[in-house]
Amino acid sequence: MFPGATDDGEGSHTAGETDRDGANFVVVGAPLDVSTTFQPGTRFGPRRIRTFAEPFDDYDHRRDQYFSDLGVEDHGDVRAWDNAKEYLEYLEGTLRGVVWDDAVPLTLGGEHTVSLAGVRAVEPEVVVVLDAHLDLYEAYDGNALSHASVTRRILEVDSVDDVFVLGARTGSEAEWERAREPDVTVVPPEDVADWPLADRLDGRDAYLSVDIDAADPAYAPGTGTREPFGLESRELRDVVRAVAPQANGFDVVEVNDRDEGQTAALAGKLVREFVFSHADGW
Amino acid sequence: MAKQQTEVRDLQEGSYVMIEDTPCKINAYSTAKPGKHGSAKARVEAEGVFDGKKRSLSQPVDAKIWVPIIERKQGQIVSVDGDDMQVMDLETYETITMRVPDDADVSPDENIEYLEMEDQRKIV
Repeated sequence: MFPGATDDGEGSHTAGETDRDGANFVVVGAPLDVSTTFQPGTRFGPRRIRTFAEPFDDYDHRRDQYFSDLGVEDHGDVRAWDNAKEYLEYLEGTLRGVVWDDAVPLTLGGEHTVSLAGVRAVEPEVVVVLDAHLDLYEAYDGNALSHASVTRRILEVDSVDDVFVLGARTGSEAEWERAREPDVTVVPPEDVADWPLADRLDGRDAYLSVDIDAADPAYAPGTGTREPFGLESRELRDVVRAVAPQANGFDVVEVNDRDEGQTAALAGKLVREFVFSHADGW
Repeated sequence: MAKQQTEVRDLQEGSYVMIEDTPCKINAYSTAKPGKHGSAKARVEAEGVFDGKKRSLSQPVDAKIWVPIIERKQGQIVSVDGDDMQVMDLETYETITMRVPDDADVSPDENIEYLEMEDQRKIV
C-alpha cells in the first residue's frame, strides 16, 4: 500500500460512477521486468517505491495539504508475466478502468514498457517523458516492445500529437534521426530548467512518464541503465510540478533494487509531488 | 430476467455478460497469468446493451457469472409518432411500441432488426 493511500478492492465498475469511493488517483503497480537491457530488477520497483515512501510526512507544508486527504487509492500490483504484449493489454484494461472512474492512474514500474499501457488508456495529446534515453528504437534486439522502444510505440498511439523527451542525453544514430521528426522534441539536461514547458503544452491533455534514469546516477543509482550527466532531483520535481495540473496520467518507471533506496525514495517523492500539484489545479 | 450461468473463462469479445445486473456486450477481454498463487484473472470491458454505459469487471477465470439471453428479432415499422414507433414482430405478428433511436432515420414499412430481452429492446 502506498503510504497515505487507501485500499482499492477490485470488482466491477461502471464508467463515470464513483465505484472507487470517489478516488481521485489510483496507484497501480506494474512490475514488468522482461526486456531490461543491462541490470534487471524493475520487478521490485513498485514494492521499493511503496516501502521507501513510508518516512514521508503526510502533511505538505508548501501547500498546507495532507496527502491522505487527496483521495489516493492503491490498487496493488498487476502481477507481471513474461509475455509483454499480453501483459500490456491486461494492464491497459486496468488503467482504463481507472480513467473510466474519472481518476488519474499513477503507475509504478516496472520497466519503461509499461508506460505504453498508460498512454493507451489515457489517450493524451501530448506525452512528456523524463528520460536519459530516447527510447526510439524501432525494435531493440528484434523486440518492438523493448523498454528501449517505448517512446517509439507511444508515438504510434492515435491520440498523441507530440512527445517531449526531457533530460535525454544518449541514443543511437537511428534514434537521433527519428528524433528530428516534428512530433518529437528532445531537451538536453542542461536546458530543461529554462525550457518553456507551459507554452509548449499549450493547455493540451498530457501524460507524464518519469523514467527515473533521467536523474543523474548520483541521485538515482538504483536503475538498470545509468547514464551520467543527468538531471538534479529538484529539476525533475519542477517538471513534475509544471506538467501535473494538466496531466491525466502519470508513471514512474525503471526503479530497481540495486541501491540503498535512494532511487525509490526519489520516485515516491515524485509520485507525491504529482498528486499535490495535480490537486493544486482543481 | 432471462439469463444463464457460465464461467468467466468462457466469455469472449462480442458476446454478452451481466455486469451489475445489467446486460452488457463485451468489447475487450484479457487474462492475467496466475503465477504460483491464486488463479488466473480475467478482465472484461463491456458496454450496456440497452443503456450504453461502459462497465468493467475483473474476476478469477473460474468464477461463475451470469450471461443474459438476448433474442435478435425481425420487425416491420407500422407507424412513427414523434419519439415512438409501432413495430410488428415478423414472427409473432405482435405489435409493440419502441422508442425511435436518436441517430436513426426510420419510416413506416421499413424492416428492422432489434435485440430483445424481456421488455427492453434496441435496434441493431
